[in-house]
Amino acid sequence: LPGSPPDALPSTGPHSLRDMPHPLAGSSSEEAVGGDSTPSPDLLMARSFGDKDLILPNGGTPAGTSSPASSSSLLNRLQLDDDIDGETRDLFVIVDDPKKHVCTMETYITYRITTKSTRVEFDLPEYSVRRRYQDFDWLRSKLEESQPTHLIPPLPEKFVVKGVVDRFSEEFVETRRKALDKFLKRITDHPVLSFNEHFNIFLTAKDLNAYKKQGIALLTRMGESVKHVTGGYKLRTRPLEFAAIGDYLDTFALKLGTIDRIAQRIIKEEIEYLVELREYGPVYSTWSALEGELAEPLEGVSACIGNCSTALEELTDDMTEDFLPVLREYILYSDSMKSVLKKRDQVQAEYEAKLEAVALRKEDRPKVPADVEKCQDRMECFNADLKADMERWQNNKRQDFRQLLMGMADKNIQYYEKCLMAWESIIPLLQEKQEAK
Amino acid sequence: MYETCVVLFLFRSVEHTDGQSVLTDSLWRRYSEFELLRSYLLVYYPHIVVPPLPEKWAEFVWHKLSADNMDPDFVERRRIGLENFLLRIASHPILCRDKIFYLFLTQVFFFYLADSRLKALNATFRVKNPDKRFTDLKHYSDELQSVISHLLRVRARVADRLYGVYKVHGNYGRVFSEWSAIEKEMGDGLQSAGHHMDVYASSIDDILEDEEHYADQLKEYLFYAEALRAVCRKHELMQYDLEMAAQDLASKKQQCEELVTGTVRTFSLKGMTTKLFGQETPEQREARIKVLEEQINEGEQQLKSKNLEGREFVKNAWADIERFKEQKNRDLKEALISYAVMQISMCKKGIQVWTNAKECFSKM
Repeated sequence: LPGSPPDALPSTGPHSLRDMPHPLAGSSSEEAVGGDSTPSPDLLMARSFGDKDLILPNGGTPAGTSSPASSSSLLNRLQLDDDIDGETRDLFVIVDDPKKHVCTMETYITYRITTKSTRVEFDLPEYSVRRRYQDFDWLRSKLEESQPTHLIPPLPEKFVVKGVVDRFSEEFVETRRKALDKFLKRITDHPVLSFNEHFNIFLTAKDLNAYKKQGIALLTRMGESVKHVTGGYKLRTRPLEFAAIGDYLDTFALKLGTIDRIAQRIIKEEIEYLVELREYGPVYSTWSALEGELAEPLEGVSACIGNCSTALEELTDDMTEDFLPVLREYILYSDSMKSVLKKRDQVQAEYEAKLEAVALRKEDRPKVPADVEKCQDRMECFNADLKADMERWQNNKRQDFRQLLMGMADKNIQYYEKCLMAWESIIPLLQEKQEAK
Repeated sequence: MYETCVVLFLFRSVEHTDGQSVLTDSLWRRYSEFELLRSYLLVYYPHIVVPPLPEKWAEFVWHKLSADNMDPDFVERRRIGLENFLLRIASHPILCRDKIFYLFLTQVFFFYLADSRLKALNATFRVKNPDKRFTDLKHYSDELQSVISHLLRVRARVADRLYGVYKVHGNYGRVFSEWSAIEKEMGDGLQSAGHHMDVYASSIDDILEDEEHYADQLKEYLFYAEALRAVCRKHELMQYDLEMAAQDLASKKQQCEELVTGTVRTFSLKGMTTKLFGQETPEQREARIKVLEEQINEGEQQLKSKNLEGREFVKNAWADIERFKEQKNRDLKEALISYAVMQISMCKKGIQVWTNAKECFSKM
């Protein structure tokens, strides 16, 4: 795998697990700790890090300070997000270590979820559990149910066409792992979602299936009330700001769709170019076999074209694995956001309908009945949550796309640099004067 | 009614006297006249590897390149090819002295010197004892022709595909621009990056045009392979001629011997008629022996001169072939170097564009 570009700094955007060691990884050997291991005192006092524990992605050493780094400066050094606002981060989640399970009924992949947290909601400072895709799917449904006023991040696509994609190939599993990791990190970053009970259970429960079967409904007050809103109410006009969000999301999804198509087309053309190159190079070898003095130069050209072919293959693989999935993720994201907008509309519609009904019944004036007040409450909370989430989403989107597109540019630069090196190295060989035999 | 369009090439001869260049003659020639000149050279210098003409019709084109003979790019490349052809002849130690070549450069009317020997070049025949060097050379020229054709075909396909890759990137320009319209902070970065994608997409046209020059250099040697084969064929023709003459002489000697000794071993019409109509008189036999002895003498002289001719041919041809080999190695090395330089330039341009785009993205 090519390493990440030296200039890019990790953010909440996608980054390779290899680039960044776990922020709370201490000098003691405590990777992959089970839920019942004794916590080391170091972790409980998570704030006092030594500088020697930090490995910065760009290979530099941390700015020397004699005192232990505070968590905010730790964050500043690891992530230059506008997002963080110096908030203390007390929850870290990582998805890694995919494993294949072969059972009589089915074969599936599980991923290891490692959680480190100092929050009171967590009994232990560290957890390690294994989850499969359908567990993530369950989590997402529960979140949608219990936090309907918030934007829930998307999951990678559930279904894959069997026969076309190998569900167990290394590339597919790795792409999925990255997406699942991203999913959990987005929830972790969310000030409301990260405290959700289902999320907690997902991260900590040894037997998730048992919990699922119990069917404990832990709906928040909002969830309960929104759940009961039927689709019977029709909103007349969406308020301007939400209409603007709706329009934005429509156009945004459209443009992303176009970019996805273009990117796919480029990869397709590049693969066809690669096919021709793989025939082109060897012809120089064939020619070389006929010649005397020209044999070495021709063979050199053949090898050079071979190197360029390999570089091109690496480029197309990278784009397929790293670029396309993130685009698709954002298209799914904007789709789910549009449905949240619709739910908001319904809540507003219910409120307006009830208000209208009250206005027609003259007796209840001037006192506004309790249930209408409740509706108004609901609507205002929804609007506030949604607006806050939109702003957070816009910021994250900007980071993510900046990183994604810079990554694309980088991969292309690396490709051309590899080819340049190959051709430059062959010039002296071509200019070499052959001694007369 | 046909309307024929003819492209004429103007060339000028420049004479250098007392360090001054003086334009002496200039006249127009069309492609078919160049063909006549080359046919003449093939016939009169059979042991020389005669430089080839540029292609008559556009071959090995990738789809964006025109296959039209009237297309200005094709005409220009043909002009370069024809100029190169004349320069090759002018720099050849033997061919540059040819009178017809001089006339080609100076006389307005150019006569076609028909020669039956030209037709003989295409005849098929079997040679018993060819010179191994020529056989090897013929195999080499066949294989060279085959490999260069293959190379040119694949190169054209590679060019086609590369064109596609670059051009699709142009679509990013438009979509980034449209997207930037709905974005606040990201807008400028996207817009300017889109511009660089447009630059990238349009850069391929010049790149591939330059590469055509490389293809033309390869093509010249593709056609040179044909010229090589022509020399080998000429050797085969001479060898065949020699073998036939030797065979004829041997048969006549045999006949003569039989007549003298009275034994009939070989079949002859005379032998047949003798059997049917009776023996000939001793005077008749003497007369025949005399004729045969004369023919044998003549034949031996001819064989001697043919042998000499053959050896001269081999010597001269091989000298020119050695010269040709040196030229080929020099030229093709140079062609490969210039190809590598083109690739390097293309890579550097690519790095530049994507670095610019990356900077725009970083400002998003």
